[in-house]
Amino acid sequence: MPYLVRRFLTSLLVILGVITITFVVARLVPSDPAALYAGPRARPAQVEQVRQDLKLDAPIVEQYVSYLGELSRGDLGISFATRQPILDDVVDRFPATLELALLATLLSMVIGIPLGVRAAARQNKASDTSLRLLAVTGVSIPVFWAALLLQLFFASRLGWFPLSGRLPSDVSFNEPTGFFLIDSILSASPSNVWAVLRHLAMPVTVMALFPLGLTTRLIRSSMIDVLAEPYSEAARLAGVPERTVLYRLALKNALAPALTILGLTFAFSVSSAFLVEAVFGWPGIGSYLTSAIQRLDFPVITAGALVITVVYVVVNLLLDLLHAKIDPRVQLS
Amino acid sequence: MTAVLSGFTRRGTPHPGGTVWRFRRNKLGLAALSIITFYIVVAVLAPVITPFADQGRGTPDLPNRLMAPNSTNWLGTDDVGRDVIARLLFGARTALLIAFGVVSVSVVIGVVIGATAGYFGRWIDETLMRITDMFLAFPPLLLAVIVAASLGPSTRNTIIAITVSWWPWYARQIRAQVLSLRERPYVKAAQALGVPNHRVIGQHIIPNAMTPVWVQATADLGAVILVAAGLSFVGLGTRPPGADWGLMIEEGRSFVLAGQWWIAGSAGAAVTILALAFNLIGDVVHEVTSTKAGD
Amino acid sequence: MKFGSLRRLLIALLTIALVATACGGSDSAATGESTEEGSGSETTDGSEEGGSSDDSFVYAMPFGIFDIDPSSAFGTENILLQNVYETLTVFNPPGSADLLSPGLAESWESNEDSTVWTFNLREGVTFHDGSDMTAEDVVASINRTIELDLGAAFIFFPVVDVVAVDDMTVEISLEFPAPLDLAMSSNYGAYIISAEAAGETSEWFNEGNAAGTGPYRLTSFDPTGSTTLTAFDGYWDGAADITNVELRLIEDPVLAEQLVRSGDADFTYNLPFDSYNALDGQDGVAVTRGQSMTNLFGALNHERLSPEMREALVLSFPYDDVETSLFGGEGTRAQGIVPQTVFGSSDSLDLPETDLEAAAALVAAAGAEGTELTYSYDAGTIEQEQIGTVWQANLAEIGIDLVLDPLTFDARLELAQSDPANAQDIFTLFWFPTFVTPNDFLFTLFASEEEPFFNLGYYANPDFDDLIFEADAITATDLDGAIELFQEAQQLLIDDNAAVFMLDVPEISVIADDINGFEPNPAYANVVQFHDLSRG
Repeated sequence: MPYLVRRFLTSLLVILGVITITFVVARLVPSDPAALYAGPRARPAQVEQVRQDLKLDAPIVEQYVSYLGELSRGDLGISFATRQPILDDVVDRFPATLELALLATLLSMVIGIPLGVRAAARQNKASDTSLRLLAVTGVSIPVFWAALLLQLFFASRLGWFPLSGRLPSDVSFNEPTGFFLIDSILSASPSNVWAVLRHLAMPVTVMALFPLGLTTRLIRSSMIDVLAEPYSEAARLAGVPERTVLYRLALKNALAPALTILGLTFAFSVSSAFLVEAVFGWPGIGSYLTSAIQRLDFPVITAGALVITVVYVVVNLLLDLLHAKIDPRVQLS
Repeated sequence: MTAVLSGFTRRGTPHPGGTVWRFRRNKLGLAALSIITFYIVVAVLAPVITPFADQGRGTPDLPNRLMAPNSTNWLGTDDVGRDVIARLLFGARTALLIAFGVVSVSVVIGVVIGATAGYFGRWIDETLMRITDMFLAFPPLLLAVIVAASLGPSTRNTIIAITVSWWPWYARQIRAQVLSLRERPYVKAAQALGVPNHRVIGQHIIPNAMTPVWVQATADLGAVILVAAGLSFVGLGTRPPGADWGLMIEEGRSFVLAGQWWIAGSAGAAVTILALAFNLIGDVVHEVTSTKAGD
Repeated sequence: MKFGSLRRLLIALLTIALVATACGGSDSAATGESTEEGSGSETTDGSEEGGSSDDSFVYAMPFGIFDIDPSSAFGTENILLQNVYETLTVFNPPGSADLLSPGLAESWESNEDSTVWTFNLREGVTFHDGSDMTAEDVVASINRTIELDLGAAFIFFPVVDVVAVDDMTVEISLEFPAPLDLAMSSNYGAYIISAEAAGETSEWFNEGNAAGTGPYRLTSFDPTGSTTLTAFDGYWDGAADITNVELRLIEDPVLAEQLVRSGDADFTYNLPFDSYNALDGQDGVAVTRGQSMTNLFGALNHERLSPEMREALVLSFPYDDVETSLFGGEGTRAQGIVPQTVFGSSDSLDLPETDLEAAAALVAAAGAEGTELTYSYDAGTIEQEQIGTVWQANLAEIGIDLVLDPLTFDARLELAQSDPANAQDIFTLFWFPTFVTPNDFLFTLFASEEEPFFNLGYYANPDFDDLIFEADAITATDLDGAIELFQEAQQLLIDDNAAVFMLDVPEISVIADDINGFEPNPAYANVVQFHDLSRG
């Protein structure tokens, strides 16, 4: 089977598995899934109604098939808080989270790759040790605590950045993409772009911390491996300047695996979003999930997590295909 | 995709020989190890160390609420007057309980599934590993969130929820180990002599496959502590009055802006330092055990 | 479930993912702001630091508003409704010469025994749709509340007949004497809507429609985001200075505090009381300490708790600690359910005191050691959590395990209303009057109910019901006699251990200090009359 097809089918299977796992957790774990699904607003009669709607009295296989059927029609269920189809809410809020996650990923790459290269070049020297410590610290700070610290110092004390939200209340512009950075640029008003950037600064920084640490560590170790390869040694012996060896030869070879870190980085950003969006009052899918937890809005919790996971699987698939394109050896593995 | 993930975070096959010696020469590693030892000791001795053991367990002391650090309460008191240090000490118990609980249960599950898959191979391997991949497909934290949300918040449920998303890592790792050990001559010999499968696995394969798993598990304790703190921060972990660092950060948040930084501040620092120590161990162990040119 | 359907599933999922990722925001209201059609850029070149410009106002609401049907809403929706709709009469802040001021009625009178009331309506009042307000509208509004029989419909309990005598006069006859002029000033259920809108369903209102005469029009409604109001040009009492109002849901008090500190929001309440002290003297904000008609109590679930257990709970509550140490020490111990600022209260009732020994004896006698009880409170309201923690410690000493259960108010309310036998054991509730009468506390919170509404301890005592019914009937004619009966009813609640009466809660809020004209009125808790405000 061609690699592409095989990879695609595996992803399909994984998605099906992810759906199955959420189904099992949602239907089998709680003592009374009907009560949980019906939500706190339900009276006993409504719980009974939900029991019938969800076919909870039917054999589990039958329940499962109808669950798949609903998903295939794009039906993620109804939120108990907003009484809206969850899909609508998710679609409304996804761009806000995606904007954070993508920018955080970008930031961690832009800073993390040079840091990793530098650390590898000075392996076991003092600057390497301190860079490594920094990187390990990045993956050890609880993101929500980091968010709190930034808010305290840079917003509350120094007033450099706004504390929360996506925009000041007196700024608005058309939102054709939902990515405010792009939308504000389209609005052709520098002050809009500035306002958007100021609001993005702290959440993006916080969300980049973990992936930044990760990227630095991984780039460092793969660079060390590559630098030890005979061709790196040969290049040095041939008089190629050290900088060139580092950035042309070695980095190029280390970057292909780094591409796959992107997927990881993205995943960690999304998880961080779950923890920090509420702290920053960011109207994304993370804060949607955290407030659903306090509202006992169980359909939202499962459906939201499912959508995020499916997006993650798709992102990984795309990255792998890209990887295979860059590095044909992958296809053989 | 998950193969890639594990390949990168868990690259390299540790070589047990000489590891300890090399580790002892590593200053970062030693520092981390002493921090961890310190945490474990104070957690175990918490009731003895603090004069405020009752407060550590949750009893309030309203007249002394929100005291700044002073000679009696070195890190001040929280919003119902409990000594922050006492809360931190008992919080360490919660954190370590969750971390060791999650990792040990996960290792057990991982060993059973990974060894079965690796030893028997073929469709058993294929099936078990595809299932493992499905669990690994969730972004970190999210699966734990769904499970914790349906079980309801408590320390025990936190352990269950994180375990559900954690075991697949070990299953993969064990499987890889078993796959290579399976072809070793002594295993072949045992099989040829008619030793039953479960004894071959139990006596010849698993003991030899475990070293890298323990190394990894130690390094993972930090990550578990962070996930657990995150769960209690969003209200899915330990319930009050249980002492928990994530919960302390959440509760202390309300007071940070009013200048009472010591509750959230110290709890966050407690998490960070312990997670840092575990992650450093992982880093250093990886460093001293991994071979030069990848696998 | 073979290949065909599998592929459809995949396609659906990918579509979801792609829709979410690629074209997600096209119709998005991600900020919850109403982007008026086509207005391409910012509306004002506002000050860089403060979010609000001169003519706009941001109210950070700690609790969500879900039902904005003016005839049935019965929560913090009054924050919105009081600005979009008006009532016939308005309750004056305590200390005023008169109890009431004219609202949409210019004057009113009743017959000798207070059973027939006549309201003379204000001329020149128009609804937001441009139509004039007439007696027909008033009749339709009152009838709608009575017919829906939801929320605060009980305020019209004595009403038999509502008649439009002429275009500007409404006559209401009652079954028994009652202070209907007070009821007409109610926070809920007494709003005047246009007769046309009175024919609409609750769904119509909750889609974001409104039909009031108030100083503001509802321009967008989003229960979990921002709701916006715009000044109504045709308002009878002159147009407002503040032309745009945003009611933004900020459930997290820390965030709300940050927003007012930074000037991104102009008003909030329900902050931790410790924050108010820290906010005193801060630049840019003013802490307002008003009179209060709000109290806090814990309803005890009569379906689940034995009389002994309820008594043990009442005796184990840390009254002194809560009064002196929590709520910034600014609260006073509740003397029964009616706050001291409301008539019918008493400062000489026979109150229980904390007595852990007696409580322990009760628990032991009932063999109830080791029982687990749940304490339902508002997520994010830190004082309720602090109370829970202190009470929990007391209860632990007598062998009871108190589980703290924080949820959003709407979630826990619905849980409590759905199935008493499986609901919480203790339900904490802040309560402020619907309209100012002791009966609002007594009747709404403790009168027997067929289906649970706000009697969330599920208390049922016919003697109590009779007492308050009688007291209400003579309120208009024999106030002193009524007060005596109200006090008697309160003592009955205390003796029955119907609830734990915790605290008369100080009413404190924070407002931007460049705002003039804010005068909190405890009869309308947490309401800001945006029309009265100006900036500068």
